[in-house]
Amino acid sequence: MLQRFLDPATLASISGLDLVAKTVVDGFIAGLHRSPDYGFSQEFAEYRAYTPGDDLRHVDWNVFARSERVYLKRYRGETNTQLLVLLDTSASMGFGSHPVNKLDYARFLAASLCYLAHAQRDAAGLIIFDENVVNYVAPSTRQGQLFRLLHAIEKAEPGSRTDFAKPFVHLLDFARRRGLVVVISDYYERPEEIIKTVEPLRFRGNDLILFHVLDPQEIAPQFREPVLLTDMENNSTLEVSPEYARSEYRRKIDAHVQALRDQAKGAGLDYFLMDTSRPLDEGLREYLAVRQGRM
Amino acid sequence: MGFLAPWALAGLAAVGLPVWLHLLRKHKSTPLPFSSLMFFERRTQSSIKHRRLQYLLLFALRAAVVALLALAFARPFIESHLGGLTGGPKLTVLAIDNSFSMRQGNRLARAKREAAEIASQFHTGDKLQVLAFNSQVHVMGDSAAAIQAIVPTDARSSYAELARALRSIAQSARVPVEAHLFSDMQKSSMPPNFADLRLPAGVRLVIHAAVDRRDGNFAVESVNAPRRVYGPGKARVQATIAGYATSAATRHVTLVLNGREVAAQNVDVPAGGRASAEFLSVELPFGFTRGEVRIDSADNLPEDDRFFFSVERSEARHVLFVHQGNNPRDALYFRTALQATEESAYDLDAVPVEQTANLTPQKYAFVVLSDVASLPQSFESALRTYVHGGGSLLVALGRESALANRVPVGDEPVNGTRYFSRDGDRFQTAAWLDEGHPSIQNARHWDDVKFYQAVNINPAGSLVAARLGDETPLLIEKRLGEGRVLIFASTFDNISNDFPLHASFVPFVEHTANYLSHQEEGPPSYMVGAYLDLRQAQERGAAVEVLDPHGERALTLEEATRAQNIPLAMAGFYDVKRPNGQHDLVAVNVDGRESDLDVIAPETLALWRNTAQGPSDAGVPAHSGEDAGAAKPLEFWWYLLIAVLVLAVAESLLGNRHLTVGSEG
Repeated sequence: MLQRFLDPATLASISGLDLVAKTVVDGFIAGLHRSPDYGFSQEFAEYRAYTPGDDLRHVDWNVFARSERVYLKRYRGETNTQLLVLLDTSASMGFGSHPVNKLDYARFLAASLCYLAHAQRDAAGLIIFDENVVNYVAPSTRQGQLFRLLHAIEKAEPGSRTDFAKPFVHLLDFARRRGLVVVISDYYERPEEIIKTVEPLRFRGNDLILFHVLDPQEIAPQFREPVLLTDMENNSTLEVSPEYARSEYRRKIDAHVQALRDQAKGAGLDYFLMDTSRPLDEGLREYLAVRQGRM
Repeated sequence: MGFLAPWALAGLAAVGLPVWLHLLRKHKSTPLPFSSLMFFERRTQSSIKHRRLQYLLLFALRAAVVALLALAFARPFIESHLGGLTGGPKLTVLAIDNSFSMRQGNRLARAKREAAEIASQFHTGDKLQVLAFNSQVHVMGDSAAAIQAIVPTDARSSYAELARALRSIAQSARVPVEAHLFSDMQKSSMPPNFADLRLPAGVRLVIHAAVDRRDGNFAVESVNAPRRVYGPGKARVQATIAGYATSAATRHVTLVLNGREVAAQNVDVPAGGRASAEFLSVELPFGFTRGEVRIDSADNLPEDDRFFFSVERSEARHVLFVHQGNNPRDALYFRTALQATEESAYDLDAVPVEQTANLTPQKYAFVVLSDVASLPQSFESALRTYVHGGGSLLVALGRESALANRVPVGDEPVNGTRYFSRDGDRFQTAAWLDEGHPSIQNARHWDDVKFYQAVNINPAGSLVAARLGDETPLLIEKRLGEGRVLIFASTFDNISNDFPLHASFVPFVEHTANYLSHQEEGPPSYMVGAYLDLRQAQERGAAVEVLDPHGERALTLEEATRAQNIPLAMAGFYDVKRPNGQHDLVAVNVDGRESDLDVIAPETLALWRNTAQGPSDAGVPAHSGEDAGAAKPLEFWWYLLIAVLVLAVAESLLGNRHLTVGSEG
C-alpha cells in the first residue's frame, strides 16, 4: 500500500524532507516484509558458547534452563557500518522534464539512505559538492545527526561546475573510516575520468556505489521540431534536430552509460542507473544489497 | 461544366492556410535549457531543413482537402444528355393498358402485338420492364414473354397511376427511361389534375394509341333496385341506358332474374344521351336473386351491355318487445314506428315481463326491454348468453327499471332518476348527438324533443352516442362478447318524453332496428375496384368464404381467416359467407366511365410527353418517337466529398507520422 509513496511525483508533493525519507523508507520496508535478504540489527544469527567476559544480557536463559549450558544469542546486525553520501549539486542536476528534477530526486534518495542508515544505527555522513565541497556533515550516530543530515540535504541548491574531478581531491580527506560511500551524480564526464576520480575511495576499503541520476528526457529526448538547446553548466547553445536527438544522441548516451557501467564493474564499484521517473525503492534495494555484503 | 453555388468558390481562399502553415510561417526556436550538450554535435542539417518545404506531401494533401471541399460546396455539374440516342444503357418500359375498354374489338391483342415488336428490337445491354396497368400498375416481368401473360380485366384505367409508377421507376433506375404506352387513350381515364401526369426528366414517353377514332357505344349505366324486400313485397327496378357518341336509337332492354328473362321493353335513346327503363312489380323468389339488366347494343363492346344487381327477399323478422304488463303504450308506439317504414321488415312480439321465463331470445332479430323492473332469472341468463353470442339488446330505462338499481344484462349501476318538471319550459333536450352512430344518422330533428325524465347511469367505458343538456347520457352503446347492448335512458311511452310524437322517432327506430339486427343497407351493386368489408374487427379467427363470379374461391385459406376486406376485381356476383353466418350476394359492375370511349386530344398527349422534356413541342404527333435528348445537369459534388474523405484520412495518417517522431524508445 505504501509502495505508491515511492513514486517521485508523489514525494514531490510532500513538504518536509524528513517526512519524505520516512515515507520512502517505511513504504520500502513494508514492501519488503517477505524478503529473506533484509535484516535489521535485531535479527537472530546463531548461538555461541559463553566465554568469560561476554555480556550476560545476551545469554539465552531458556536454553540454560533446559540444558544447564550457557549460550549466547548472536544477532546479525550487531556490527555497525558507516555511510557517506556524496551528493552532486552541479548545475546540470537542476534539469528536469517533469515536476521532479534530478536534484530533487537525488535529495530524496540521499535523505532516504540517511534515514535508513540512521534506523539501523549506522553512522551516516554527507558531502554536498559541485565544483567545490559545498557542505559536509561528518558521519556520526549522535542524537540529532539525522536532522543535521536532512537539513543539509534540504539546503542543497544547484550550483555550477565545469570540472568533475576537482572536488574529489578534497573528498578523499573526509572518507577516512571504512564504510559505504554512495556517490549520487549525473556523471557528465568521460567514464574513465569518473572512475579514475572516484576509484581512490575504494582503495581505502570502502564499498562504493555510484547512483547515476538521469532524467527520461536525457535518456531518450523527444523533440517534435528542431530546438535550440542551452547547456545549463556553461550556457553554450546548440540547435538540435529531432532526427539527431532520436538517433545519434541516443546512441551516444547509451554508449556512455554502458561504458560507465562496465568500467565501474571493472573497478569493483557498484553502478546503478536511476531514471527520475521511476520509484526510489530500486536505489534503496541496491544500497541494502551492498550493505548486506559487508556484514 | 458549371456551378450551382458559385459563391462557395470563395472558400478556395482557405487554401492560403496550409500555404502559410508550411511555406510562410517563420520558424522560431525558443532556447531550451538542457543539462549538458556533451553528447550533441553542431550540424547544419537541422537549421536549414525547416526552411525548406520539408512536408511537401502533407502540404499537398492539406491544400487539396481545402480546395476540394470548397469545390464540393459550389455544387459543380456537367451537362448530361439523356435519351435513346446517347448510346448509353437505358431502361425500356412497355406499359400495356388492360382495362375494361381494351376489350373492345382487338385492342388488347393489337397492343400486345405492337409491344412484342418493340421488344424484338431490343438492344443487348438495355433493360426491359413490362407493366400492365388499369386502376393499378402491375409489374409483369422483364422479358418479352411477360407481354403474352397480360389478360384483359374489368377495372378502369388510370393514367395518373401509370405516371406515378414511371416516376418511381425513373427514380430508382438511375438510367434514362423510355416508356412505351399501349392504350386506347380514353379521355375518361385522365386525372382531374393534369399535374398528376407529370413525368420526371430522363423519361421519354412514346405513345402507341390503339385507336385513332372515337367509337359509339351503348351501355347500361346504372340500375336502381332495392337491396332487400320483405314478406310478399314486390320490387321495382329502374335502369338507365346511356349512349356514348351514338346516334338516336331504340334499344331492347331485358330484365333477367336468376338467368331467366322476366320482363322486356324498348326504350328510345337520344343521340349521345340517356334513357330509363322501369320494371314495376317484379316478382322475386325468396332468398337471394341474381338480377341483370341487358340491352342489345350491337356495338364492339358487348361486355358493358348488362348490369348486375342482387336482391334479397325474406320474411319479416320478429322482434321481442318485453314491457311491464300494466303499460302497453310503449309497445304501441314502438310497433307503429317499426312498421311505418316502406318495407315492413320486422314484426313486433310484445310480451309482458311476467311471461318471459320460457322464451328463447335466439330466434329474434333483437330484443327490446322497455322499462322493466326485473327479469326472471332464467330469461336474463338466456339474454346474457344471447348477447354474448352475437345478439343485440335495446334497453329503455324508466321509473320501473330505476328501482332495480342496475341495468338488466348490462349491469351498469343506476345513479338515480332525474325528473324535469312538466310545468313551463323545464325540460331537457338532446344537446349533443353523435351523428356517426347508426341509430342517429340522418335523424337531425331531435331538437324539439322534450325529455321530462331520464335515468342517470354511469357509462363507464361504454360509447355515449347522445347526451341531454345537463350532460346526462341519453343513448349508450356497450359491447358484450360478440353482441351489443344499446341503452336508451328514457322510455318509449310518451310519458317520460314526447319522443314518440316526433318525426325523428320513426327513423331512429328504423335505423336502430337495422343496426341491432345487422341489416344495414348496403348498395345494390359495387364497382370493380371497390373493397368489400368481410368481417368486424372482433370476428377474428373464423373463416370467411368468398366465391368470385367464376365460382372459384377468391381467398386462400390463410386469407380466409385473416382478411378484413377483399378487392372486387371482376364484374359479376360474389358469393360471401361471413364469419357470423350471414350470407351475402354482392353484385359488381364495371365502372361506367370505361364505356365512354372518347379519346384524349393529340394536343393533350403532346403536353403529357413534354412534361418530361421541357418546353412544349405540341405539334409533334403522338407516334413520333424522335427524341429530343433532354439536357440534364448532373451533379457530382458527392464524388468530391468522397475524395475529401480519402485525402483527409491520408493526411491524418501522414500528419500522425510526423507528430510521433519522438515516441519511439
